[in-house]
Amino acid sequence: MKPLRPIVATLVIVVALAVVVLLSRKPPAPAPAGPPSQATPVPTPVPGTLVLFFPADDAMLHRESREVPELPAGLPPRVRLVIEELLAGSRDGYAPVFPWAATVQAVFVSRDGDAYVDLSTPPPEVVQGTDGELVLAYATANSVVSNCPGVRRVQILLGGRQVATLGHLDLSRPLAPNMELVAP
Amino acid sequence: MRKTLAAAVAFLLLPLVAAAVTVTTPQGPAEVFARGDLLDVVALLRLAGADVQYAAAAGSYSASAKDHEVQFTPGGSLAVVDGRLTPLPGPLRLVEGHVVSGLPTASALLGPFGWAARGTATAPELVKVGGAEQIEISVARAGGVTTLVVRGTKQRPRVTSAPGSVALQFITPVELSRPVVAEGELQGAEVRGTVLTLRLTAGTEVAASYPLDDPPRYVLRLGSDATVAPVATPRLGTLVVLDPGHGGDDQGAKGPGGEMEKDITVAVARATAARLQAAGVTARLTREGDETVSLTDRTALANRLQATVFLSIHANASPARGARGAETYYMSADASDPQAAQAAARENASAPADTLQLILWDLAHVANLNNSARLARTVQERLNALQGIRDRGIRQAPFVVLTGATMPAALVEVGFLSNSQEAARLLARDVQEDLASALAEAIVEYLRTPTPAPTPAGTATPTP
Repeated sequence: MKPLRPIVATLVIVVALAVVVLLSRKPPAPAPAGPPSQATPVPTPVPGTLVLFFPADDAMLHRESREVPELPAGLPPRVRLVIEELLAGSRDGYAPVFPWAATVQAVFVSRDGDAYVDLSTPPPEVVQGTDGELVLAYATANSVVSNCPGVRRVQILLGGRQVATLGHLDLSRPLAPNMELVAP
Repeated sequence: MRKTLAAAVAFLLLPLVAAAVTVTTPQGPAEVFARGDLLDVVALLRLAGADVQYAAAAGSYSASAKDHEVQFTPGGSLAVVDGRLTPLPGPLRLVEGHVVSGLPTASALLGPFGWAARGTATAPELVKVGGAEQIEISVARAGGVTTLVVRGTKQRPRVTSAPGSVALQFITPVELSRPVVAEGELQGAEVRGTVLTLRLTAGTEVAASYPLDDPPRYVLRLGSDATVAPVATPRLGTLVVLDPGHGGDDQGAKGPGGEMEKDITVAVARATAARLQAAGVTARLTREGDETVSLTDRTALANRLQATVFLSIHANASPARGARGAETYYMSADASDPQAAQAAARENASAPADTLQLILWDLAHVANLNNSARLARTVQERLNALQGIRDRGIRQAPFVVLTGATMPAALVEVGFLSNSQEAARLLARDVQEDLASALAEAIVEYLRTPTPAPTPAGTATPTP
């Protein structure tokens, strides 16, 4: 037991010092309004129907209706829901909008009605052809604007960054829906 | 035993590292969370008087005060400032439930509210910044069109029109460096804080507004019920620039058998050029071989050569593997104005982009849009006449390679490489020759057809 005495003594001194310092510290900074501390009110879930756009073999976008158990009232969560339902893929057998396992990193909606959807970065050259880019941009824009009243345009960000282009389409700014690409 | 002791000491000392830091503010000192050189930006924004809310489902924060709103999210280095996406100097991080950043990033978020974070991370200061930017307004009239140019700020204002006036809402305060003299439709101007109000003659409205760079300025093109939008007569010539899509490191789309878009586009472009030359039309390619050429350089070449027509040739790919057919695109109207003017200004280095020049580019682009539609329609009709082509029509989309073209321009997709049958067909030499014949005939037909749009008397005719 003898060799432990200095260690125990050191431990006691450290504890005492820590207690003294903690007691003498200024009061802690105010808690943030962020995720851990803000009490989020729990709304009553309101089911709803989304209209999503997916590509098909005629290289047009096709409408697909989808029941969702809860349709968020706020714009950002509703935009997020629409994108996540697009990411989940078509239930009617249409082709995927996003050719990589994308995740939604963040959603902003500006006062002007521009929605910014930040997706995880795709692998290189995974989005091919003008049609691949048009599908990515306009299936997203058409779906978001159709389901989120107040949103006029949509810009896709990748990995938290603005993207000028993936090779063809100008993605550097928000795009309005394009109903020319939708099958009649 | 020693390791256990070290861990115990580290555990006990941890709270001492995660300390609050004292921020000096005009109202006195205040405590905010800090970790290393990162400060709690939400706390700083609240000290600056902003109301900060967190949208849990979107994972983003919104700070607002008076007429300004800043949206940001931890993990990103972008913010939406008054509706505009803005890059931040550094990333925002989430540490123990606090959104933290370095001082420069905190300052960028505080800026729209008229505040800045100064000093050091251990002794930060929150200071009010009130220095209004000095702006000046110049007026130019040409071809019956008045254009206002606001210089002196990089800010991109929100433009709101009302009868008899237009308001430009800036993010930070501005001041007029000299009084505005009434001229044409502009009756006067006044600034209150961040809002510049321009008084206009009755019936005048803003037809277009857009920012330009080098030097930074904001352009407002005015119009009225009485103003007929001038349409320029395009210069008919014999130089056609063909743009084989992709090349070099950029292989473009790939077919199921490894067929590369860049090989098909250059083969079709070369054959098209040969047919045009045979018809007496000079043709140039944006790339002769397998080299990498940026999208902007392709259009820039056509602009420098003052080409009559620019046609970009591509092969398509779709996530729907059965997709097939040919289609032709031209620039969408809403995407064309600002970028075209900027690109044109950049590329025409021999003539600095003054206000008159910008107006001329603007007018030229309106005419080009109509002629681009005609070019696209002619190309598509010729392709439809070929056997085995499924007509997918003409469409508009904001493609980068068409942005900034100062002549009629179109992008043709000759087929889908993602469709195995079409990929095999597109590789066949005779199919490539047929495609080239159709494209060359379409261009010759386009050049021979008179331009339908008349030039109203008294309007300027731009020279691209």
